[in-house]
Amino acid sequence: MDQAAILDHQFLIAAYAVTWTIQLGYLAFLGMKWRAQKREQARVRQNPRQRAN
Amino acid sequence: MKKAAIGFYVGVTLALMAWGFYQAIYVAPNDAMQGEIFRIIYYHVPSWAVAFIFLAVSLAGSIGFLAFRRNFPNRAQVADAWAVAGAEVGVVFLTVGLTTGPLWGRRAWGIWWTWDARLTTSLVLWLIYVSYLLLRRFAAGPQMQTLAAVLGIFGALDVPIVYMSNRWWRTQHPAPVFGGSSGSGMDKTMVGALMWNMLAWLCWGLLILALRYRVERKSQLIEAEEAQQALEA
Repeated sequence: MDQAAILDHQFLIAAYAVTWTIQLGYLAFLGMKWRAQKREQARVRQNPRQRAN
Repeated sequence: MKKAAIGFYVGVTLALMAWGFYQAIYVAPNDAMQGEIFRIIYYHVPSWAVAFIFLAVSLAGSIGFLAFRRNFPNRAQVADAWAVAGAEVGVVFLTVGLTTGPLWGRRAWGIWWTWDARLTTSLVLWLIYVSYLLLRRFAAGPQMQTLAAVLGIFGALDVPIVYMSNRWWRTQHPAPVFGGSSGSGMDKTMVGALMWNMLAWLCWGLLILALRYRVERKSQLIEAEEAQQALEA
């Protein structure tokens, strides 16, 4: 394998890895938001006057 | 039943992602000119295509919000939830497109970035929708949703400009592969791999779009519940 082919391969892996990192990172962010909302909803129903920011 | 349907959809999506990856890496041939780096196309192009679809969802939601906000407040809230979900998931896919593009460009053209029409309009599109999300995050008051809807509609005007930019102007970015001039197009195996990945990323995108929509609706309902409780107190 020549140097150019090795670099091509590394850049390809980087592009695929970046794609998955962004997508899975966003999915994790949504998951955390979802859980925080569930807690918020429970708090609102238990104690209507107190809201966590 | 609903949980089973969601589980089935997630399973199909993951299978499609794996199949798309297999097609992109093991089935599609290397490009005669660019070699292996060309395989970035199987993630880069679907990301842009799916981003454009979700920005269209956001546009429809923004128009719906403005149309319904006076007479149908509930429908307006639903439309607004679709608008923000489409914009946010669209930005995620735009970010993928804007990061995989320079990685490809560095190897194919020898440069990370150039201020040609396609790249510049794409960056402007990303900045418009990031500002849309920042507006929603930091602006307060009853006019926030209306302002965001107007910005969302104007932002969507950039989508056809991005799409047509390499037809209207000379760009460093290659000419259109599909629907371009005579001689454009791809090998059948490459088209197959691209279409599988397009489908896979669309299914994945719809999954996170639906999740983002549910989060937004839930947030609206919690706020409405709190407002009701405050009125009753």
